[in-house]
Amino acid sequence: VQAHKEEDNPQKTMEVNGLTAVPDSYDYDLIVIGGGSGGLAAAKEAAKYGKKVMVLDFVTPTPQGSSWGLGGTCVNVGCIPKKLMHQAALLGQALQDSRKFGWQFTEEVKHNWMTMTESVQNYIGSLNWGYRVALRDTKVTYENAYGEFVGPHTIKATNKKGIEKLYTAERFIIATGERPRYLGIPGDREYCISSDDLFSLPYCPGKTLVVGASYVALECAGFLAGLGLDVTVMVRSILLRGFDQDMANKIGEYMKEHGVNFIREFVPIKVEQVEEGTPGILKVTAKSTTGDQIIEGEYNTVLLAIGRDPCTRKIGLDKVGVNINEKTGKIPVNDEEQTNVPHIYAIGDILQGKLELTPVAIQAGRLLVRRLYAGATTKCDYVNVPTTVFTPLEYGACGYSEETAVEKFGEENIEVYHSHFWPLEWTVPSRDNNKCYAKIICNIQDNERVIGFHVLGPNAGEVTQGFAAAIKCGLTKEQLDNTIGIHPVCAEV
Amino acid sequence: MGWEEMQVRGYPEFVRAAQSYHGRPIFALFCGDKDADGRSWCPDCVTAEPVVRKELHNLPDESVFIYCLVGDRAYWKDPNNEFRRNLKLTGVPTLLKYGTPQKLVEEECFKAELVRMLFTED
Repeated sequence: VQAHKEEDNPQKTMEVNGLTAVPDSYDYDLIVIGGGSGGLAAAKEAAKYGKKVMVLDFVTPTPQGSSWGLGGTCVNVGCIPKKLMHQAALLGQALQDSRKFGWQFTEEVKHNWMTMTESVQNYIGSLNWGYRVALRDTKVTYENAYGEFVGPHTIKATNKKGIEKLYTAERFIIATGERPRYLGIPGDREYCISSDDLFSLPYCPGKTLVVGASYVALECAGFLAGLGLDVTVMVRSILLRGFDQDMANKIGEYMKEHGVNFIREFVPIKVEQVEEGTPGILKVTAKSTTGDQIIEGEYNTVLLAIGRDPCTRKIGLDKVGVNINEKTGKIPVNDEEQTNVPHIYAIGDILQGKLELTPVAIQAGRLLVRRLYAGATTKCDYVNVPTTVFTPLEYGACGYSEETAVEKFGEENIEVYHSHFWPLEWTVPSRDNNKCYAKIICNIQDNERVIGFHVLGPNAGEVTQGFAAAIKCGLTKEQLDNTIGIHPVCAEV
Repeated sequence: MGWEEMQVRGYPEFVRAAQSYHGRPIFALFCGDKDADGRSWCPDCVTAEPVVRKELHNLPDESVFIYCLVGDRAYWKDPNNEFRRNLKLTGVPTLLKYGTPQKLVEEECFKAELVRMLFTED
């Protein structure tokens, strides 16, 4: 038995090696760090089983000063505002198409950024409020404070006024999510914005350079162009890394043909301010990735969308011994979302090797809590999760990309069925007749089971959802062939 | 200076009241009309009003509490009445913080905790 000095500060005692003074009872059964999709779902579920739960949520403002309310990335600076602005752009297109269907209006139609942004932010505000009501109603304690571990069962919560409070809990769920990455070049934090700023930007972004080739980059570039802005995308190498490249290239082609400029194989090395203003004028200097060529360009706004980094480096994980991948910041967990420290769990975008999607985080959070407190055994199924990219031509997918299928099963063992299609709604306004596309990838050795589904066309998300359920049931090509189509819809292809 | 209450009836009066207090935090409780005996045709409003009144002392300084009678039951049921159309009210009672998306509707108004949260938190 190792004797140690009694310290005045009881917290200190807990940090000393050897015999730590563990309190008889904790303040909470569960503390959730992060009030996003995963965190809130887990907290509300735990409250259902009568557990005493606390949620800590805090948004560190962006370099430009943007911040937001409870709900996490999806609600505030992700899926929700993104889809609404995508819709705004689609409506612009619909207005153009409508003339061919007989609608007559003489004025040229213009877009007002402020009107759209205010409506979107209002809706988000109602969601923030709704979450607060839901938490209060289910007796979950919510604090708008930055949580970090200071001891195995203790969290320090610091609010925006700098006031610190300590809380203890039996178990913890880390659901801190991610934030946009910056380039690390001169002028990036001072002058560039990220998706964290875009959806609440209090002025129209104007002529925009989007740096990146992620779905965030392409979706934002897509709707900005759809709203009538001059948009350029600067891509270091390939589009949509990790997605089926055949589909990614088709998306890029479509965007190029519809007014989005692409600068391929360049990276910015410097951003300077030419003129102040809202927006001002920025000068971007970029270098080729394949040679020494340097180019310059001027834009009103530079939007960085080069990736997102987990918020795991400054929450005291080292103090409690939770392993993280030092390079990426992601947290490895077992198939029960447990970290290497048994009473600490993690869910959502911060997980290593798992999909960064809201419904995945929600499902993982709910199932985890049911296993902890309701005796359930079901684990989260990360296979065959459907997803959709809301670029101007939407892309829905479920299962393997063609490349991954070939890699895993061998080219001779898979069969790809594909088809271009022309949505009926596009015929009258003479829109492209060879851009929409669907393909399924089948495993020949397993009854031609459908292992990959990809569709490029309007309402791709709506189309994909049903197919995801079918794939989960083990859909085969024969069953698909035997399913009579609905006419006239895109999905019948 | 603490908070003050103003009572109004009908949409135009409400709008005038809200405009006259522009610049101060405004909280409003919308209820169905009351008869000669002071009872509202809306049973939920009868339940909610005392709960809300008990929390009024939590209102921030300088704020205004507008107690608004919307009209009779027939007026309220009309899907095109001005409260539904312009203020986007969906039910009575509704307790809201004017100019923000923060509101409590129907049974939510019965819960003192939620009323207090609306009055005191950002």
